[in-house]
Amino acid sequence: MSDQVSHMPSPPSALSRLSGLATPGVTAVVLVTLLLFLPALLGGSWTFTLGLCFANSIGVLAVSLLVRYGGEVSIGHTFFTALGAYSVGVLDTRYGISLWASVPLALVLGVAFGLLFAWPSRNLHGIYLAVTTLALALAVPEMINNFDGLTGGYEGLYVATPFLPGVDMGAQRYYVALAMLVLVCFAVARLRLSRQGMALLLAKTHPAAADAFGTRRVWARISVMGISGGVGALCGATLAFSGSTVSPGGFTFWQAIFLLVGSVVSFYGLSLPRVLIGGAFVTLVPQLLSASGAWIPVLYGLALLGMILIGHYMPRIRKALNRNRETG
Amino acid sequence: MDQMTNALRGEGIALSFGGIKVLKGLDVDFRAGEITGLIGPNGAGKTSLFNCLTGAYSPQKGTISYAGQPLNGLPPAARAARGIVRSFQHVALCPDLTVRENVMMGLARTGTAGWLSAFLPLPRGRQERSDMARAADAALADLGLPDVGDRHPGELPPGMQRLVEIARAVVGKPSVLMLDEPAAGLNNAETQDLTAALRKLVSPDLVMVVVEHDMDLVMSICDRIYVLNFGEFVAVGSPAEVRSNPDVIRIYLGSDEDE
Amino acid sequence: MTVWDSLLYDLFPLIWSGMITGCLYALGALGLVMIFKCSKVVNFSHGNVAGLTAFLVYGLSSGVLMSLSWGAAVLVAMLAAVAIAFLIYSIISPVVFESDLTSTIATLGFGLIAQGVTLLMFGADIVALDLPIPRFAFSVLGLFVTGYDLTVLAVAIVTIGALFIVIDYTKLGIAFRAISENPFAAEVCGLNLRSVHYFAWITAAILGVIGALLIVPTTFLSVTTVATFMLQAFAAAVIGGFASLPGALVGGVLIGILMNLFTFYVSPEYSSTFLLGVILVALNIFPNGILQKVGGSRV
Repeated sequence: MSDQVSHMPSPPSALSRLSGLATPGVTAVVLVTLLLFLPALLGGSWTFTLGLCFANSIGVLAVSLLVRYGGEVSIGHTFFTALGAYSVGVLDTRYGISLWASVPLALVLGVAFGLLFAWPSRNLHGIYLAVTTLALALAVPEMINNFDGLTGGYEGLYVATPFLPGVDMGAQRYYVALAMLVLVCFAVARLRLSRQGMALLLAKTHPAAADAFGTRRVWARISVMGISGGVGALCGATLAFSGSTVSPGGFTFWQAIFLLVGSVVSFYGLSLPRVLIGGAFVTLVPQLLSASGAWIPVLYGLALLGMILIGHYMPRIRKALNRNRETG
Repeated sequence: MDQMTNALRGEGIALSFGGIKVLKGLDVDFRAGEITGLIGPNGAGKTSLFNCLTGAYSPQKGTISYAGQPLNGLPPAARAARGIVRSFQHVALCPDLTVRENVMMGLARTGTAGWLSAFLPLPRGRQERSDMARAADAALADLGLPDVGDRHPGELPPGMQRLVEIARAVVGKPSVLMLDEPAAGLNNAETQDLTAALRKLVSPDLVMVVVEHDMDLVMSICDRIYVLNFGEFVAVGSPAEVRSNPDVIRIYLGSDEDE
Repeated sequence: MTVWDSLLYDLFPLIWSGMITGCLYALGALGLVMIFKCSKVVNFSHGNVAGLTAFLVYGLSSGVLMSLSWGAAVLVAMLAAVAIAFLIYSIISPVVFESDLTSTIATLGFGLIAQGVTLLMFGADIVALDLPIPRFAFSVLGLFVTGYDLTVLAVAIVTIGALFIVIDYTKLGIAFRAISENPFAAEVCGLNLRSVHYFAWITAAILGVIGALLIVPTTFLSVTTVATFMLQAFAAAVIGGFASLPGALVGGVLIGILMNLFTFYVSPEYSSTFLLGVILVALNIFPNGILQKVGGSRV
């Protein structure tokens, strides 16, 4: 038994099998181009929903980052999304300041609180960290409701200040979310190539080896949490702008679990197509099932289990098939 | 004279776990320009001594110094900063990174590009990456592995993985290189490649220490050998001296034949 | 009012009632710890499954599903809990031997399903579940003691006593301890890991049902009450070190008392935040649990 989340193998993407040209970069460019023109084909409500998909994809990415670079599972990322969302909401409704200032603020707060949370839990890992993030998730709605002077309590806040004055607000809510998602995915892809990113990966698999080459374990733990917290806050900021409202209902314990489900459903992927799958799952399932709310947790639970069991049995099945092919 | 000052020294190193004395006041003097072997039967305390020197354990008594500077109390990362690096008995390469990137991690502590470069395509980060990649490729080529940089460690046979680990250790031009059972899990041909590679690494400024079970390897590459048993040195000397030492034959080599 | 009066009228009753609820947290925590000790999985479905079974008792005894007698309803619900625990472990057991964190995530999936099934069967409304608990009350030394308090105490003592006897003296219990100490060695000695895991999961489910049923009289029964209750059980388990049964017991009582004091003296509105603080502080001061000496660290 290992401490770490077993990495699910990436299923060979149909695209990359179709043509050798489809490198991850090309796939992403094609996908972004497609998404740029999508609002012209879709109605307003679908455009709105897709904006939320992009925002949630960033949240899914934040959870997956923690798994991939830290080997840890968080069920408390609504803390960070709430932080980002209320940065945007409060600055907007109180001071009429738009995303120009509130997104950087969200990022700074997300990173700062990620570090702040990571410090007392720097020696925790695996299930201990998971349980601690659980407590974090539970504390979020309570904090929001108790700071109602700032957060608007149950009623929440309405975000209406445009990012670019004079441009149609519906289009803004879509394109800002898309831009944020693309930027975050790009930055995360860069991280993989950086010295810090590689050091984090080594520290995750072989902490003693990382230590022997100058990467301390505590540094790795705290850095990963800071990065993931920052990305989580960006998700919240995007959700606030694209979803137009910020209220405690968006940051419940269940929402935190849903983000984790989205991460599992996307096989903890960090690429644009993968996180879009996770984000779409988190956004669309509740919308499609809104008439029968009780089925939502059931479906999420089944999806979670299904993906985990696929991740478990897929390599075995593939191996068995290969063996058959070789002998047959 | 240089050889004397650039040495990794330990004086009176004593370590005990819960009352059991694992190391009983050992003096060691690992000189630059030589390969020093550390051998002994299972449970003799080889790994404990190794861990004291790399900083994984802190001995209750004794001092450890490199080039006259005390190292006591420094954690492994701080010792790494002083050029004291090690390999691992069980290959500790990251499967998510390519071979080249794994070797680049040997230079991680020298990196200066900040977090901004980690997320944005800034010239400083790119420069750092290409410098490190070049150094890693050179280290791989030196060890006879010029073409594996883009592969992943899992695709390589154990012997090559071991050499990649050694490349990672030497890419940062260390002053002390400590190898923990480098031949463990290797077949004969691979061990011979390893022997050749290790010989090529010898340089007047480098202290090399090899903890090893494989007697042929130790006898063929080491200039001096420390023989450890029950936490004490039984013999210290050249391979020929150690080989002919009656105590060594009795308690160490002899026990091998009994098995 | 003198300091003594405030102690007498506030503090002692708070500690007493905190201890009573704490016993229930301990029942929940013991289940979590039993599962974690042998299979290294944190069972996040514990609260939701226990909640579902509490609803089953309601449904079976109130006429919503059936009109059984109270005892029969509890028995059927217990059997259902055992069956669910068996099913959950059967499905995730291949994953358990591969990665404890992945299987922990899988239990979240079961928690979601149990939550959804509860909603589908009983709706989101609050229901009143009446238990035949003796209704009397008396005062000792200024302490107001109710029949509910004594029932909880008696059930908790009997259940926990029985659990420790089972673990100390029965064959399965001894196997459980051996596997918790060293699964590899125990398996080499011919102990069947899986059957011991089943034992732990099923026992935990039963403890969960007992805890859930007894917590209901203090609140109403809704989809979230039992799940919320189990979160305190998580905190209790963490404080106890997550791998120590006596630790879970002490942790449960401690959490019960601390939460009571906090809500009374500081604020009832920050109880989850307080719980988070308690967990973080406890994990830093007692990384191996409150009953373990600091320094005897296991890596």
